[in-house]
Amino acid sequence: MSQIIQIKNITKEFKVLNRREGLKGSLKDLFSRDYKIVRAVDNISMNVEQGEIVGYLGSNGAGKSTTIKMMTGVLEPTSGEILIDGNIPYKNRAKNAQEIGVVFGQRSQLWWALPLIESFKILKDIYQISDSDYDSIMSLYQSLVDIEPLLHKPVRQMSLGQRTLSDILAAFLHNPKIVFLDEPTIGLDVSMKSKIRTLIHALNKEKNTTVILTTHDMGDVDALCRRIVIIDKGKMLYDNDIAHLKGFFGSYRTLKIRTDGDISEHSEQIRKKFPEFKVSADEEWISVLVDEEKEKVIDVLSTLQKTHKIRDMQLEEISTEDVVKKIYEEGVS
Amino acid sequence: MNLKKYLTLTRAGIIESLQFRLGTLVMIIGNVLYLTVIYFLWDSIYKSSGTDIVNGMTFTDTLIYLVLATALFNFMEMYTVWEIGRNIQSGKIVLDLLKPMEYRSYLFWSYSGSFVTQFFFTFLPTFIIVGLVTHGAIPMGINLLFFVISVIMAIIINYSIDFLVGTICLYTESIWGINIMKQVIVLLLSGATVPIAFFPEPFKTIVNYLPFQSIYNAPLTILLNGNPEMQDVLTILGTQLIWCVVMTVLSKLFWKASLRQITVNGG
Repeated sequence: MSQIIQIKNITKEFKVLNRREGLKGSLKDLFSRDYKIVRAVDNISMNVEQGEIVGYLGSNGAGKSTTIKMMTGVLEPTSGEILIDGNIPYKNRAKNAQEIGVVFGQRSQLWWALPLIESFKILKDIYQISDSDYDSIMSLYQSLVDIEPLLHKPVRQMSLGQRTLSDILAAFLHNPKIVFLDEPTIGLDVSMKSKIRTLIHALNKEKNTTVILTTHDMGDVDALCRRIVIIDKGKMLYDNDIAHLKGFFGSYRTLKIRTDGDISEHSEQIRKKFPEFKVSADEEWISVLVDEEKEKVIDVLSTLQKTHKIRDMQLEEISTEDVVKKIYEEGVS
Repeated sequence: MNLKKYLTLTRAGIIESLQFRLGTLVMIIGNVLYLTVIYFLWDSIYKSSGTDIVNGMTFTDTLIYLVLATALFNFMEMYTVWEIGRNIQSGKIVLDLLKPMEYRSYLFWSYSGSFVTQFFFTFLPTFIIVGLVTHGAIPMGINLLFFVISVIMAIIINYSIDFLVGTICLYTESIWGINIMKQVIVLLLSGATVPIAFFPEPFKTIVNYLPFQSIYNAPLTILLNGNPEMQDVLTILGTQLIWCVVMTVLSKLFWKASLRQITVNGG
């Protein structure tokens, strides 16, 4: 298989103005400028093969978007090399653009005032998609999602979910080799999330498109990615199979319950009952970090129900932030 | 070059601008108000001057000139600075940069649809009304052809200046002040608010060496001159052509050099 993305030791530094505080400081800023260098991406290397879906994770401000912008050619790395399908993206932006598709969850590339079908037609001409390719991708779309009602709806009247879906379809329209999805499921409800995951999965399979996916939602990662890359503060923390990470974390879930009566007393009792799990409590909730390989969450819950009056409960997946934090604190073998 | 790729953007622009009927209506009303003010302003200027001809132009000449300048302004103004600035602030510029064509062309052609709608909705009606009201004070002959050529070059010069100023937004990350400054300078020095014939002498000479007068003064001078000397027309068109090339090259180079400065929000 061919290496579609090759990244070698890239670093990106930004010059940021040190702003001073208050009115006096702002006035001073007008005259003397004092810059500091911020290293957003620090010595990252990775290779991606054609057809892979890679989850690119990290907390806010970790440098994910910066890396993506360098891969798309919008930013030039301060040092290091990037090759996208053999091209240096920032030197050959227009050519690179033909080979990639992009979705930024927060903004849309579609024509706001026009019905979706018009946006597709414009993209067809801009990317010079042949009629037969266009027809075949449209019929593929039709088989994957119920696109008909969307086609004649102006983009500005769409719900966020419909718009994101449309944006993803638009990004795949010219059959790019790589699609970058920057937080595509942000702000969507559960059913829309799963719809979008199914769509991405199907398009990847059908077209063998490489997908680089950044997200904060471990659900996205679980559903789509076999490989994940985690960065934090610009540095690469982890690059391996998701199965490997799973093995490392076991299968943890956080069970949160709310009980009547004194919380600290209850949490103390629970701690005694499940000495192998971490139990913590805040003003409202008692959290039990359950390792499902040792005991199922549902069993823990039923045991608790016998002794405590549970008013409310929540089940939480481990979030990206937890993962990053844990890797950061303990390292990965 | 594949023209279809660009014309599709024109088409989109036409459809897009037709979506906003109310906006078009308000703009037409605004224009009528502006023109009314112009009429009374110059009416009193001419009345107080005591002569019929000021600086070689009669009241009718001046009025035709200014009305058509306004129509031309509505037709040519692309709000490029505004657009670039907004795209930078919202970060949408990233998506535009990722289209498989140059940003400069992409922006131009995205806006070009409005040329078509504005031509039919404001310029042509104004032109016809002025022609009817003044009983043929606008000469209809070969000058129309030169006028069209001149307007096309004016559009290119205007866009290049706009794009050049818009590029400055990459550095300042603010739009408003820059945009207003540009608009005032261009409108004044191009002869869109006051005919250049009215400018005092040394100033007039300076203005003639600047690119701005090629935007409004040049096409209007050509249009309003019924039996032009070929040499005069060629001088005007030649000057425009030179500015076309110079401004295009300048704005392209400046953009290229500036693009590296982009530190788009986020990341």
